This record gives sequence, C-alpha cells and structure tokens, in this order.
Amino acid sequence: MGYTIAEKILARAAGLPHVKAGDEVMAKPDFVIAYDFPGYTDVYFKSMKEDFGIERVPDPERYAIFIDHMIPATSPKEEELHIITRNWCAENKVPLFERKGIGHQVAAEVGYATPGAFVVHFDGHVSQLGTFGTLAMGIRRNILEAFVRERISIKVPQTVRVNLRGKLSPGVMARDVFHHLVREMGSASCRFQVLELGGPGVDSLTTEGLQVITGLAMFTGALTAIVNPDKARLDYALPRARIKLDPVYSDEDATYSAVYDIDLDGLEPVVVIPPTPSNTRNLVDYAGLEVQTGYLGSCASGRVEDLRIAAQVLRGRQVKPGFQLNIVPTSQEIMAAAAREGLIEILVEAGAFISSSSCDFCFGRIATMTAGQRAVSTGTLNVRGRMGSPDSEIYLCSAASVAASAIEGAIADPRKYL
Amino acid sequence: MSLKNLRGRVAFIFEELDFDVDQIVGVKNIKITDINELADAAMQSYDPDFRAKVKPGDILVGNHNFGYGHPHYPPMRAMRHLGITGMVAESFSPGYWRGEISMGFPQASCPGILGLVQRWDEIELDWQAGVIRNLTRGTELPIEPLALADQRMLEAGGLVPYLKTYS
Repeated sequence: MGYTIAEKILARAAGLPHVKAGDEVMAKPDFVIAYDFPGYTDVYFKSMKEDFGIERVPDPERYAIFIDHMIPATSPKEEELHIITRNWCAENKVPLFERKGIGHQVAAEVGYATPGAFVVHFDGHVSQLGTFGTLAMGIRRNILEAFVRERISIKVPQTVRVNLRGKLSPGVMARDVFHHLVREMGSASCRFQVLELGGPGVDSLTTEGLQVITGLAMFTGALTAIVNPDKARLDYALPRARIKLDPVYSDEDATYSAVYDIDLDGLEPVVVIPPTPSNTRNLVDYAGLEVQTGYLGSCASGRVEDLRIAAQVLRGRQVKPGFQLNIVPTSQEIMAAAAREGLIEILVEAGAFISSSSCDFCFGRIATMTAGQRAVSTGTLNVRGRMGSPDSEIYLCSAASVAASAIEGAIADPRKYL
Repeated sequence: MSLKNLRGRVAFIFEELDFDVDQIVGVKNIKITDINELADAAMQSYDPDFRAKVKPGDILVGNHNFGYGHPHYPPMRAMRHLGITGMVAESFSPGYWRGEISMGFPQASCPGILGLVQRWDEIELDWQAGVIRNLTRGTELPIEPLALADQRMLEAGGLVPYLKTYS
C-alpha cells in the first residue's frame, strides 16, 4: 500500500514507521516560522512566558521570525512591535530575518524549504514551500502549541492529486493556472486536505510559477500544497537547506481522495472579480473595464519572472497618465536580480513606482483606494477593503495582465503586447 | 466526552456559499478593539435589529465552506459578546475553523443543516449523540465527529487552557 508525500513527511515528523490520512498524531515540526504582527507574535511571546513559564525556547534553530510587515515602520507603535520581536529573537537566539523581503519567499531563499521537512506557520501562504517538497502548513493560533511544545497534534490530511498536462501559451502565467484550478475544482475542492501537484505539465512550469500555485492553495480550501520535487527544485533547495533530510516522494499507488486532470494547453488569461477569490472569469470578458491602480507584488507574485514579463509588456511603452502602478519585488534578492537584468530600469522608465519588498501593499496597510475606484492586483486577496475603501474593487490577475492594464488604464489582455 | 450540549434558537442563517466572516462586522470595522463598538457594528448589513433580537444561548447556522478567505477574529468575538454560543454549518473553511476552535468556540459540521432549520427554530447540538435536533420541528441530522484535539480544545475552553491541561 502506497503513501503520499504528505503522509511520509508526517510519519517521519511523528516518529512513526508510517501514517495514513485520518490518523491523529503528535508530530514535531522541523521548523516553526512566523512573522511579527500585532496580536500574534507579541501575544505568543507573552503567553509563552506568562502562561507556560518558558523563558527560552530549546533548540532555537528550529524557529525563525521574519519582519516583513510594517516595513518601514510609520509609527512609534509599529517600531515598538519590531523591538519586541528583535529582543525576543536575540534573547532566544532565534534567527531573525528583517527587511530581506516577504517571509514566505525569503524562507525558501534562506533554507527553510528543505525537501522532506515539516514546517508550520500561523499564516497559510507558507504553503508555497511545498514547491520544494516541504510540507508547510498555516495552523493559525495553534502555532502557540509549536512554540510551547516540541510536538503538535495533527490529523493526517487526505490528499487531492492534480495532474497538469500540456504547456502554457505565451502571456498565460502560473497565476492564471491557479485561478483556473479554483474555477475547475471549486473553492472547497481540497477542504482540509493537501493539494498535490503532479503530471507532465508541472515540468513546464518554473519554480517561481509553482511558488505562486502552492502559495495560494488555501483558496481551494487546502491546508497546504506540495510538489514531488524534480531536479530544478532540488538544485535550488538542497544547497540552501538548513537541515539534512532525504527528499521523499509519493508512491505510485498512493491513495488520493480525488484526482483531477487539468490541461494547460489553450488556457487563457483569467481575472478574479470581487469580492472573493472564488470568482474566476475569463479576462477577455472584462477587458476594457476602467481601473485606476495596479499592484504587482505580494508573496503570490512579484518574482523575477513576473517582473520580466511586466518589463516585456511595458518596454518602450508608458503607464497611462493618472494610473498608479505599484511594483514591489517579493524579496531583496529578487530586487537585486531584477536590477542586474535591467528590469527595474525598464519598469521605472515606463512610469511604475517601485517599492522595496514588504507585505504592506498586499495586506492593506498601504491602502489608498477610495470609494468607486478599481485595481488590478497580483495580491493574494480581493475581498472588500483590502486595498482601501470597502467600496473599492480589486480584480486579481497575473503580472502580465497588470502591466497591460497599466498601459490602457483598463483591464487588458497582455498577449497583444508580447 | 465532557462537552456541554448547546440548546438555543437559530439566530441567523448565513446562506451565502464561501461566506467571508469579516462581512459580519464589515471590513471598515475589522480593526475596532472595543467589544461594545464591535457588537454594535455586527450584522448591520444583514439585520440591523440583530442586537435587539438575539438572546444568550442562540446559535448561528452557515452554508458550505463557511469562513472562506482570510478570516479575522473580531467578527465572532462580537457574536459571542451578543450571546451566540455556537455555530453549525454545512461545512467550514479550515483556517476559520481552526481559528475559532482555538478560541474555544463550539462549532459543528452538519451536512444538510440548511434543510433542517429555519430562523428562530429551537435546536440542540448533542455532542454525545452526534446530532443536531430541531426541537421546534422534531427532526434531526448527524454531525461530523470532531478530531480528538479539537474536542479537547473545546472541552478545555480554548487553546491556552488546552495546552495547560495536556502538557
């Protein structure tokens, strides 16, 4: 009887020879990671000390904290939170990554995406480490269990297998693939389960593209997403890995709760209309709809391939006067790579506003839309008020589509600019 | 199992699929920390008289994938302040489910619940029997069993007491 990659990782983490979906086990996360946020980390740190008498975490290398929200701080209160975080990390000797970029991306860059590892965070977008064969789950406040104990209680999830076939056409991106999956499979298709991506189409996607798809998995209801890592993913992850583990793979005869076949050939650009990430539509049906602002960034997009295609679309062209295009590379490493490649120059000359890596445009701290305005966005979410007034609207789409829309001041098909 | 059964009226039925709980208080109010202010904001888009009608012990009912999106904690804090003691839905979104169970808020998945109850029916959530009973109509439906950790967390009254009990 075969096992899925998720079952194999949880079996090792639980110290058991094998586990099956439905088993309730105590598993030891290889890494416990979090970003600082008011009401989250500050509360956990306080609770550890006051409720559980934990002055220092044992084994500090198992933990990592990122400062990627409220960067730069714009009020003394925000800076106070960062001080709490810095102090806790220093006292506990826990690695701290500040101003390096959006944590879920940086986590992969600095070696927490160890193939075969089990990682927990409170935030669900950490699922993108699954690109590298890491089982990474957002467990919300239950992260406190991982802060105060070595092991956490977990019910081994079932797995939904998605076999991708074919190859994307020019101008169609991984972002389109993910929202197409939501449309085809449904917003609850992977509820409480693991979304496992496989099939020959996976090889035609870039590592960055897979980070997009795995990172957004929660919008299919999934607890996380994972890929059986191929050579390209291992070549990225293994030299950076913080611990030595053997990568694991799903068995041929593993048990899946459902199997979907998704064709990448012929896939068209899509747009997700407000107010929920479950509303995938064909972009052509919304082309021409006036938009006033665009955001290219977030842990879901804003990587080099996103900046590259945006530059391809915008090279020698101009953002429509009055349209505000905000571009935020996902990490400092990506910003530097884009600069070396000349992408930043092209984007700036086209009229884009480039901002340093931060979560702030995505979670709504930098939220400037007023009532009646519309945005095209590669952020994670299009719920009301995410980018300003609850009476503004967010249309989620790919980086290519954001760039094309910036030229026209209206939702636009990127393919005509490539 | 030492979980206390819930008995109360169906104070509201959220019929929308993939319901985003932030809408309960409205996104513009999500950062309010004063519990009375939050409770005043709750349900204004759905039933402006909700606060006057609701009674301690009342229960909420939801459709499939209740809590989808990026749910925040204030909406259910407001509901608890108004006296809501539990939630039953066709199914729940995992992030929302985990978040509220860790707050010690009793919730049960009950496929078919929308067909079982109407607003203001008196219902009973019987954990031991594993059913929701519609006491007004004399009907019932099974609930999905809780995972052991979820059950213990509800019994303990939330994440922190749970961790203290099972350390």
